[in-house]
Amino acid sequence: MEALAIELVGVGKRFGARTVLAGVDLRVPRGGRLGVIGPATAGKSVLLKIIAGLHHPEAGLVRVAGRIGMLFQNCALFDFLNVADNVAFPLVHEGGVPDHEIAARVTARLRAVGLAGSEHKLPAELSGGMKKRVGLARATVASPDVVLYDEPTAGLDPVTTAKIYQLLCADHDASGGTAVVVSSDVEAVAAFADTIAFVDSGGVRWVGPAAELCDADDDVVRGFARGTP
Amino acid sequence: MSRTPIQHPGQVRRAVTAVGSRTLEAAAAAAELGTVAAQATSGAVFGYWRGKRPRGGIARQMYYVGNRSLLFVLVTLGFVGMVMVYQTCLLTTKVVDGRNQVGAQWIRLLVLDVGPSLTAMMLATRVGAGIAAEIGSMKVTEQLDALRMSGVTPVRYLIVPRFLACVVMTVVLTMFGVASSWAAGGLTGYYSFQINPRIFFDLSMVAPAHVVVGVIKAAAFGAAIPIVSGFCGLRARGSSEGVGAATTAAVIGSSFAVIVLDLVISFVAMTAFGAG
Amino acid sequence: MRGSVAAVGASTMAAARDAGGIAVLALEVARSLVPPTLDGRELVRNLYKMGYRSLPIVTMTALFVGALMVIQFSSFVQQYGARGLVGWGTGYAVLREVGPLMIGLMFSGRVGANNAAELATMTVTDQIDGLQALSIDPIRYLIVPRVLAMMITLVVMTMVGDAVAILGVMLASQALLDIHPLTIWYSLVDNIGAADFLHGMGKALVFGTAIAVSSCYFGLTVKGGAIGVGRAVNAAVVSAAVSICFLDFLMTYLTS
Repeated sequence: MEALAIELVGVGKRFGARTVLAGVDLRVPRGGRLGVIGPATAGKSVLLKIIAGLHHPEAGLVRVAGRIGMLFQNCALFDFLNVADNVAFPLVHEGGVPDHEIAARVTARLRAVGLAGSEHKLPAELSGGMKKRVGLARATVASPDVVLYDEPTAGLDPVTTAKIYQLLCADHDASGGTAVVVSSDVEAVAAFADTIAFVDSGGVRWVGPAAELCDADDDVVRGFARGTP
Repeated sequence: MSRTPIQHPGQVRRAVTAVGSRTLEAAAAAAELGTVAAQATSGAVFGYWRGKRPRGGIARQMYYVGNRSLLFVLVTLGFVGMVMVYQTCLLTTKVVDGRNQVGAQWIRLLVLDVGPSLTAMMLATRVGAGIAAEIGSMKVTEQLDALRMSGVTPVRYLIVPRFLACVVMTVVLTMFGVASSWAAGGLTGYYSFQINPRIFFDLSMVAPAHVVVGVIKAAAFGAAIPIVSGFCGLRARGSSEGVGAATTAAVIGSSFAVIVLDLVISFVAMTAFGAG
Repeated sequence: MRGSVAAVGASTMAAARDAGGIAVLALEVARSLVPPTLDGRELVRNLYKMGYRSLPIVTMTALFVGALMVIQFSSFVQQYGARGLVGWGTGYAVLREVGPLMIGLMFSGRVGANNAAELATMTVTDQIDGLQALSIDPIRYLIVPRVLAMMITLVVMTMVGDAVAILGVMLASQALLDIHPLTIWYSLVDNIGAADFLHGMGKALVFGTAIAVSSCYFGLTVKGGAIGVGRAVNAAVVSAAVSICFLDFLMTYLTS
């Protein structure tokens, strides 16, 4: 039996009287890449935040092996810190990392995402694509075992989208870490992930290999993947 | 057909449920406010100096709370001083000529009550709104979640520096406000009622206990503003409208906290050592 | 040195521009009222919303302020035994000064800030331009009912607040100084006339106008999206507080 990085058993979440998730089961093996797709307000972002430990489910069990990094939907860069301090933030607050090592790792990460030289800019001075790349650098700087991506390419043009996924691929090829990507861009996420989960109205409707998505045995999933209603 | 409650048992149940859920919500909010207050206070007293903290956090907050509000406090408290002295002179000259007492009484009231509470009311509008808007917009843009992902508590990282800065600066600004209000009152007394400044600027009615009560009040108000406003910011929901609602709630909430605390501290001071 | 001088100059210019803008808006509102055409339904809707929203906070504030006045007055009572003067002294202060001032400040925080946020959101989402595109005058349709509603509501709220504050005075003096409420009442009605009451109401009317016009001005002139809305709300509340304190002085000085 292969080692699991993420395991969700019967997870349920409510906000007041509204049930957002119910009975969600999900397993991601170590080093796996899971893509989560589905219609708007299906509970994808909530699912991701439950894995991240930011929301506590009312029911079920969540197990995540190792440390987690996360890229947020709107990047959530700290607007009072410059680019370098944003990327350094997880390392600084982890404690025990010496300053010169922090600086070296921040420089290496920024070079990897193609932002060398922008260290002293403030988030307000960056374009949407640049913000995403800073967010990526911050999510991965502490070399987490699991990285969660909430809509990594929302609102970006196709060229920038392709570049962001190239970066994701390169990162995970190098680190061998686990990835979970929530995205509305079905084609791009299916190319990146090895497994796809289709979430609809609070539950996982279909899970299968990314290659079989367009030929899924479920009409709704097939229609969603092909873009035909 | 007549509509009576008996024919609509659902209505009664709905009403009871609504009242119940409102009560629960209010209780949960009060508990949350209490938690924020406890975390901020304990963080300020014990935790803040240990470990990593935002560089220059307190200094920047002090600049924002103190320097940027100084003119505002001087101007408003100055006008209030002119009005209060004018009214008191009108009142005292009606019965017996008590003009000579006005200055001594005014500085006593300023130190004990009007100085701290009005300065804090002014800061509640300026600083409280700013804190709620800042933290609220961080909440709706997921920056607070990003903080928590790095194991950083939002209350400790964001509210504690504002708490420390606000406590110190409210005391300092109160001193400036009292000075401005006293001076403006003295000028009014001299030009409108011919009160000799030497008689007006008379400190004989101010006891050391009064100063202690005034400083305690200013510090308490300075603590309440960032706690209430930060709490409102942390509860912001949705998008920019949620931030707007949090801002107004912060102004009202912290002004009200100032009034309630003023009453409580005055009452305790009065019963404890008759300085109220 | 040069930088700070330039900064002082720039902020002075900005303050002057805002003061001028507020005055122009006030004139426009007044001109829109000359043939008194008014959207009655919009006025009633605003009156209900503003009154209903601020009633709890106004009554609570007034009650506490009344009790606070008694505590501040208690040392005189202990010093001079002036029990008969409590009603007069606190009543004079509440009706002429503290009532309008405190209730005006709370009203500005509740209703003025809300109004500025609402108008600012409408402005940054181009709804005001949308009205103009339909050739509807935003001043007449949006601003005039709001200004009138705020003026009326603050006067009514000050009346309610004065009454509640005097109730607070009575309760607190009974509890703290053991003075019978009737003693307070006679001391009040014997010494305080309609002039004192009207003085306070006049102030409430002027404060209401100032809060209304400045919050509408900052709501309409907002720039720069969501952050701009926050800044507009802050500017509206701060300028309302300054104008209340300034106008308070002016009114006291001119009417006595």
